[in-house]
Amino acid sequence: MSEVKRKYVTPGELIATGNYKPISNVIKVKDNFYAIKIGLAEISHEGIRVIPLSGPYIPKVDDLVIGKIVDYSAFSWEVDINSCFFAYLPAQSVFGRNFSPDRESLPERFSIGDLIYAKVVTYDRTRNPILSISGHGLGQIPKGEMVKIGPAKVPRLIGKKGSMIKTIESATNCRLIIGQNGIILIVGPPDGVLLATQAIRMVESEAHLASLVKDIQSLLSGSREV
Amino acid sequence: MSAVKRSMVVERLRKDQMVELLSKEKRLDNRGLLDLRNIVIETGVIERASGSAKVQVGNTQVIAGVKIETGEPFPDTPDKGLLVVNAEVLPLASAYAEPGPPDEDAIELARVVDRGVRESKMIDLSKLILIPGRKVHAVFVDVNVLNVDGNLFDATSYATVASIATAKMPKLFVDQNGQIKRTEEIIPLPIKSIPVSVTLARIGDVLLVDPTSEEEAVMDARITLVFDEEDNVCAGQKGQPGTLNFDQVKLAANIAKVKAREVRKIILGGITKDAKG
Repeated sequence: MSEVKRKYVTPGELIATGNYKPISNVIKVKDNFYAIKIGLAEISHEGIRVIPLSGPYIPKVDDLVIGKIVDYSAFSWEVDINSCFFAYLPAQSVFGRNFSPDRESLPERFSIGDLIYAKVVTYDRTRNPILSISGHGLGQIPKGEMVKIGPAKVPRLIGKKGSMIKTIESATNCRLIIGQNGIILIVGPPDGVLLATQAIRMVESEAHLASLVKDIQSLLSGSREV
Repeated sequence: MSAVKRSMVVERLRKDQMVELLSKEKRLDNRGLLDLRNIVIETGVIERASGSAKVQVGNTQVIAGVKIETGEPFPDTPDKGLLVVNAEVLPLASAYAEPGPPDEDAIELARVVDRGVRESKMIDLSKLILIPGRKVHAVFVDVNVLNVDGNLFDATSYATVASIATAKMPKLFVDQNGQIKRTEEIIPLPIKSIPVSVTLARIGDVLLVDPTSEEEAVMDARITLVFDEEDNVCAGQKGQPGTLNFDQVKLAANIAKVKAREVRKIILGGITKDAKG
């Protein structure tokens, strides 16, 4: 594997000059690559990308998100997925191909204010994303405490191969459901929920620091002794 | 985009949690039922306005500016100056605010705040006359909501009151030819009292003060009461489809009276800071 170079950049900053491929959040002017977002620039053999420190949730196909039902029509629910787009959950994907608005009533299944765990099945920038709840563990979320963080911080909360999430879960006896859109649900005993919330808040505020893993471990182990 | 106005939907889980906490006299943000959020009042924030104020109530932020001009009085009140309060919720203030002319909620906001200032006789409008029936001072208050997190009525009222109380204008006089001339002297508006508005929300059987936007999205009924210095109720507004029975209104008035005294000190603090600076 070739070496990956990282540095913090601000919008307009020159990241590198040469023959690279722009991947995300960079623009190429002649042979110069400039950042268009504030974040961490990565230069590798694949190309140049900037991992933003903050920003809205931009849907991606196959993302698992937590959404809130805000409205419904005869054929679909409208879901707030904490993004600049509203998502749609078609009734056909819930009731099956034979769905008919005469037989089935949408609000009986999901009413306004319900939270659902769903997958983004189609999305391009010209149309609103479409969700699906067919899949293991997807569907309505019956209980739990909701915490919102910046969507850009979600990868850090999950950690390498889910290491961060496992650390928090095992220390607090809670189960965490993470939506890629920055909404997290914590299910477990009240003390654990409180501690997990603190840990998540810490991940959010210290996401850019190298000492994060250590700090989280000391937060979790420190209160375990109490 | 649909033409229907969107409003905030509170997650059912969150709503259940809120109702459970309220039954234990607690709130989602750890406040007690009768605790106000932190109120910060800054005056003189707009340099070119006659008077101005920025108010924060928790995360709610409102800015108000006063412009004093001369104009013709309304035909039915030839012996009074003009007072016009206008409020707008900027699209950047909330995900649910749309650009364009003020919607019905913003109009209600302006009307309720205007009523509080007018009916408390805060400004002695009869002293704003230059030529009776023809020329009077006109006081325009424009309020912009910068961030919405509930209780816009109170935040807007505090900003309006603080900006009017600190407004200054050049002294005008009428010469022998009936012409209006300005003097070098700068004078404040004729202020008679300081009204304080307090809003309560009813969720279930519980009355709470200073609701956040989450609480406003869940509330059944809302009542705003405005008090003058002698604890007289001088204006009020009831909102939302839910009802308030007689005992609840009495209780609301008693709570609001005590809270109004608390807020009055903060408003007076904000106003006097400006006078010193």
